[in-house]
Parts: sequence; C-alpha cells; structure tokens
Amino acid sequence: MELLVDSFLSAILLIFSLDTEVLSIVWVSLKVSGISTFFASLMGIPLGFLIAYGSFKGKRILIIFLNTMLALPTVVIGLFVYSFISRRSILGSLDLLYTQKAIVIGQIILILPVVATLTIAAISRIDERYRKTAMTLGANRWQTACVIFREARFGIVAAVIAAFGRVIAEVGISMMLGGNAKGFTRTMTTAMALEYDKGEFILAVALGIILLVLSFGINLIFNFFQGRTRA
Amino acid sequence: MLYVLSKITRKYGSRTVLDIPLMEIEKGKIYALLGPNGAGKTTLLNILGFLEVPTTGDILYRSKTVNFSESFLQNLRREVVMIDQHPILFTGTVYKNVEFGLKIRRISQKKRGIIIEETLDLVGMSDFVQAQAHRLSGGETQRVALARALAVSPEVLLCDEPNSNLDVENQTAIINTLKQINEQRKTTIMFTTHYMYQVSSLAHHTFFLDHGKLTATQAESFKLCQ
Repeated sequence: MELLVDSFLSAILLIFSLDTEVLSIVWVSLKVSGISTFFASLMGIPLGFLIAYGSFKGKRILIIFLNTMLALPTVVIGLFVYSFISRRSILGSLDLLYTQKAIVIGQIILILPVVATLTIAAISRIDERYRKTAMTLGANRWQTACVIFREARFGIVAAVIAAFGRVIAEVGISMMLGGNAKGFTRTMTTAMALEYDKGEFILAVALGIILLVLSFGINLIFNFFQGRTRA
Repeated sequence: MLYVLSKITRKYGSRTVLDIPLMEIEKGKIYALLGPNGAGKTTLLNILGFLEVPTTGDILYRSKTVNFSESFLQNLRREVVMIDQHPILFTGTVYKNVEFGLKIRRISQKKRGIIIEETLDLVGMSDFVQAQAHRLSGGETQRVALARALAVSPEVLLCDEPNSNLDVENQTAIINTLKQINEQRKTTIMFTTHYMYQVSSLAHHTFFLDHGKLTATQAESFKLCQ
C-alpha cells in the first residue's frame, strides 16, 4: 500500500513538472491514435452509412462480420500486420516495421469495425420518416442521404470518440508493430508495460493517471453525444 | 384528369393491401379518403405521392404514363407533397425546415425568405420562425409541416390524417388553411380522416377504402362511417 501511495504522489509531481519524457510519450500516443482514428473514420463512416442506408444481398452477413471483428484481439491484428510488413514479407521493402505508420495501420484495422458498426447503429436509429419527408419535399438520393447523415451526426461523432478511446488504450498493436522505441514509437500503454517490467512504478503510474484522465474526458464527451442522440 | 389509376395493386409478400381497378382524380378538387385502420389509405397516398411503387397497374399523371424509375419519380415528387400522419421536423429552426424544399429547388435566398414568411403567416406560425423545431407542440409541428409542404407550391397535397391528435383550435386552423390554398392556388388535395364533419366541411368528393378496395360512393360512405 505504501508503495502505491508513494508512487502515486511521485507520479503526480512528475506530471506537474511537465517531464519531457512523459510529454513525449503522451504526444506520440495522441498523434498515433489521432491519425488512426482519422483514417478509420474516413473509411468507417461512409462504409457504415452505405451498409445501413443501402439494401443489398449479404447485408446481414456483412454486419455479422463487422460485429465479429469487434472482438478481434490486438495481438492477432499485430501478428497479421507483422506478416505483411516484416523485413522478409511482401511489403518488407517499405520499411514500415517498428514505425508509427505500422502502429497506425494496425490501429486502423482495430477500430474500423468500431466506427462502422456504431455508424450503422446510429443511422439505423434514425426515424424512417426523415427519409420519406426529404423525398416528398423533392430531395434526390444524395440530398436525402445528407438529411439522414445530419440527423445521425451525434451518433456518428460518438462512434468516432469511442474508436479513439479504444486505440488510445490498446497495447498489443503498439508493442508488436511499434517496438516501443523511446521517443519514437513509445506510447503510454507500451511505456507502462515496460516500466512495470523494470519495476519502476512512478512513470507507469503517472502515465496511468494521464490515460485515466483522458479516458474520463473521452467518456464524458461520448456520453454527451449519446445523450444528444437520444434527445 | 390529374391522375388516372388503372388496375393498381400493392402487395406485401402474399398479402394484397391495395386493389383498385380504376380511380380518377380531378385537378383543383379536394378529396377525402375514408376507411377503417388498415384499409390501405396510407399506401394509396404513398403511391399517389410517388413514394411507393405499385406491384401492378398503371398511373397516368397529367395524361402521361408514370415511369417508375427513380429519376422520373423524383421529378414528379417536386409537384406532389405528402404530409405524414405524425409529421417529423428536421433538427434546427422552423425557418430551416420550411426552407428545405425551397433550397433543393435552388430558389434564391431573398425569395426563400419571402416565401417562408408568407407560408408561416398562412398557417399562423410566423411568431415561431426562429424556434427550435423539436420544441414545438403536436399542433404546432403539424402546422409547420403544412407550411413546409405549402412553401414549395405543390400541385397536389396529400395529407394523412392531418388532424389526428390535435385540439379543436389546431384542427380548425388546418382545415381553414387547406380550404384557403385550394381556393386560392387551386391545389388538388387528398386527405384521409376518420372525422365525418371534416369530410362534409372540406371535401368535394369522397372515396371509401375497405380492405384495399374502393367500396362505396359518397352517400354510402356517410352511412358506413356513421
């Protein structure tokens, strides 16, 4: 208990001292997670929208597949991407392994289903009368889709926030594809794992506190948007 | 004739919800569509509003056969507007709602402002122009939905139970507005209702639907409803 209290107090001091190592790790985490969330949203939102809005053969199977992908462990994604970007593999010449780009690729695979399925849920919740009203007022397919998108916007923002929350807290992909290189691919979660291995708890606890505060903030925003959706 | 429906059927799976051998609708008239719940009234309005395609049969609109391709229907929808039984307003202000159809038709901003002002005035909602649509009461929502439809100056206005769940004041306001636009703009109106006094005070002609079939003349409709 004493160890925890001491580590906690030292960690608080470390955070408020604006330690450069802590700042660098937080920056790498935010940058990598931000980029992967951006690209996953760029693909996942239109994908989710098309699946929810369209009617085509195999739609249910596709939704089941995406839902299954939600349960994909990060280490499996890490292994999968590794098999493509390791030195001897098909994309080895691109030198992606142990770079931030590699982490981003893995994280996109991780959260693309999150964005897509939550977008599907957000669009599916939209009252059918919006579509009918837009159509009867003379809107074409594109304009009708814009109406539905607009009405579902809070749910879609909530999907993006949930995806960001998922990647900022993942460790498997960052560790396997990033390699935990100091100042380069070391994220909050990989740094915490390393510090724990070393028996150095202060930095690990400091990063844990930051991660918790970030998660709290993300959940706060997520709840706000979910509340707007229900309203 | 504005509409001529011949041998129209609409099936959902094996269930036939509409079966109309012949139906004619004249321009500039008000029609009441009566019938019990599940008679096919809303389905018929959806077909007349080009929102639903019949399973079989032909529709002549302005003496031209309706081609049920999406692009063709979209052009026709610019002339026919349907108001739902429980209309839904888009998120945003009353102004933005009424502006929707006008913006789609690329009407200039200045002209849009004038039309919105006029139509909201017509339905007695001019004080609510900047009000948030989702904060309106049921009656106010119905009136804004009517204004939104009227703003685009439709040839045909289809109203699915325009007075359901409204108080007397709002019912009277809606009936008066429908009468007024029919007289002034010669807009063809078809409305569904369960209230006989609305039929007698508003409609020029009455159709009675039962189990998807047109079953009675006007006089018989009165008897059936009583």
